[in-house]
Amino acid sequence: MEETDLCGSSIFRCDQRLCSADVLPSSEVRARMEVSVLNFLEFLTSPSPAVPHLSLIKRRLDNTGLRQGLVNDVSSIFLSHSFCKRSLMRTKEAKAFIRVWKAMELCFQVLERGKQVTQRELFYRLLCESPDYFTSQAQVNMAVQDLVALLHCTRQSLGIMASSRGAISGRLKLLDPETGVIDCSVLGSAGYAISGDLNLLQKLIFHSDARYIIVLEKDAIFQRLVEDQIFNQIPSILITAKGYPDMATRFLLHRLSREFSGLPILALVDWNPAGVAILCTYKFGSASMGWRPCDVRWLGLRSEDLPSLPVSAMNDLTARDLQISRSLMSSRMLPGPHRAELEMMAAMGKRVEMEALYYRGFGFLGKYVAQKIVRVLHASRVRVLASESVSTP
Amino acid sequence: MAGRSSGSKAPEVLSKIRGIVRSLVVDLCNKRLPSVVLDRYRRIAWIHPVIGTYFSWKEAISFYKESHAQRLDIMLRVLRIIQQLLQENRHGSKRDIYYMHPSVFLEQKVVDQAIKDICILLQCSRHNLNVVPVGKGLLMGWVRFTDGDRRFDCIRSPNTAYPVPVHVEDVEDLFSVAQYVLVVEKETVFQRLANDKFCEKNQCVVITGRGYPDVSTRRFLKRLVENLCLPVYCLVDCDPYGLDILMTYRFGSMQMAFDASLMCVPEVRWLGVFPSDHEKYSLPDRCLLPLSPEDRMKAGAMLQRCYLQKKAPDWRLELEKMLQDGVKCEIEALSVASFSFLSEEYIPGKIQGGVHI
Repeated sequence: MEETDLCGSSIFRCDQRLCSADVLPSSEVRARMEVSVLNFLEFLTSPSPAVPHLSLIKRRLDNTGLRQGLVNDVSSIFLSHSFCKRSLMRTKEAKAFIRVWKAMELCFQVLERGKQVTQRELFYRLLCESPDYFTSQAQVNMAVQDLVALLHCTRQSLGIMASSRGAISGRLKLLDPETGVIDCSVLGSAGYAISGDLNLLQKLIFHSDARYIIVLEKDAIFQRLVEDQIFNQIPSILITAKGYPDMATRFLLHRLSREFSGLPILALVDWNPAGVAILCTYKFGSASMGWRPCDVRWLGLRSEDLPSLPVSAMNDLTARDLQISRSLMSSRMLPGPHRAELEMMAAMGKRVEMEALYYRGFGFLGKYVAQKIVRVLHASRVRVLASESVSTP
Repeated sequence: MAGRSSGSKAPEVLSKIRGIVRSLVVDLCNKRLPSVVLDRYRRIAWIHPVIGTYFSWKEAISFYKESHAQRLDIMLRVLRIIQQLLQENRHGSKRDIYYMHPSVFLEQKVVDQAIKDICILLQCSRHNLNVVPVGKGLLMGWVRFTDGDRRFDCIRSPNTAYPVPVHVEDVEDLFSVAQYVLVVEKETVFQRLANDKFCEKNQCVVITGRGYPDVSTRRFLKRLVENLCLPVYCLVDCDPYGLDILMTYRFGSMQMAFDASLMCVPEVRWLGVFPSDHEKYSLPDRCLLPLSPEDRMKAGAMLQRCYLQKKAPDWRLELEKMLQDGVKCEIEALSVASFSFLSEEYIPGKIQGGVHI
């Protein structure tokens, strides 16, 4: 890799190897924008003037690597120092090049006024102010992504509001400096709605006597477990992103895992490729914003649960499922057990949802979770006890 | 086990279930083929039950026909599950019920049909059977209530979003000093209002159903209106889908005709966005997006709805204008001039000026 590329990236970061998006205050982001503009002007006014290209971190899978934790078993993906260039000189990229600067200008104004905008509002603004360059929402989204990659900060730091669908419940007390204490165990089946504002989530203080953190893929399962008040029988914190995890939910989970580092994080997902993909996102982070991994263990559904489920609860894999499965298996970062499960799904051609456990009644889900926790976490202890009881006459 | 009451109707529903099963058993003992009689509503000539009359006939389901026998079997199974839910004070969704006997039910719509039949048979609403969907509404603002044994005090932090309670019948001690209720279609608009601290400057309650509102959101809105007697203003995009959502709040959805009288909120007023707003507020023409073919089809279908002419002729006129102009306008387009235009000028201006239909 050339030296020039390294220098190019070192405008903002000292550590070139590890590229992650930061949550930054508005003044810092504006400062970075000003630096990039000054850099641009420097190139233009230099003795041999030229229009520099934008070095954006390549946000693709071939630029990701897997880093094994030294002290713990947490692996995380990171974006390496490979860059792609956006250049004004190439006709096809010229407009995309300009779009990044236009988006930067608007975000600068937004941050100056201390406001936040949604991506749709950005679209309408840019549509009206620069109609030659912006004609669709997709172009705005791409420009924002490029800006994130250029400035190494999160989208929210640019002043773009993020929503979160996540919810949290269980044995956790949240202390918000402004609103006071929120006890998540008495909030009802919807739980505490996780705010999309990462700054707010950063300020929360946690108190908990839970022994596990359980991550749910689906809202229906979350609500069932909350209604059954499972956290009173199995002291735990329940968290869900209601599908594919958004940044705020992952951020909160990461904070919880750091705060309560002894607590195992267990995931309950459907037995299908999408469920495995969600699991991997929690575990490793995401390629487009590779950061904040958590050591998430796959509690269920697993293939070992299948024999006890009715055959009619199984559905066929769709074409989309197979697509997701192929793309997951093509990544060298996929752990062995996950790969084996995906292969079994493909071989059987079937997928199973968590609700299949209801065939034994609504109350069975809680018992299933308890059984699995014993099996997954305490299996070694059980084996020792069993061997001891066998050896004593 | 959830320690909440499912309202006062549970014992009534349970005794009705027992009554039906007893009559079937009596039939069998007297060597008669058991049958169940349902009221059916004809959809074509259907006029909203609240407004006018409906055309109905009675359908008897019995073991005479083989297809009916299967329907009866499925209905009885679902009835058994519902009885369990009511006795154990639990709630389940339609999907959960399907998964209890997937080999018998075979398809989700079979369960949905059985539940509709049972609602008609027992003359009650789905939530009385403890069959509730997963809630997705959000609210914020000047309201306080107790949900079961939890106290929600949205007044202390008026810009924080709270989920709309799913079991609306458990909501008690509803207290508010708000002057009106604002219903918004989209979550992003809700966020915009939260970000602008709208509820701090305006004494109101803001609710969103995040698109098409679910049953709990609509019921909660109705509860708010009935208990607090507040005006309700609705802010939707100026496109056929936005108007459809507006009509769902006001008239109820076509799918659930039987429950409509319990969930429709006739007091809903359309605050915006009107097709005429883009001229009035000098929005650039580029903000108006053309109607797609699907939009046009939807608008055409909506114009056929019988209640529109009778009960909301102003809305019908605006929909016709939209179709004529061939353009739609989203709420976010109002932020073009200034990001806080929506919360500082548009909404308060319209409410104070009484510009709503």
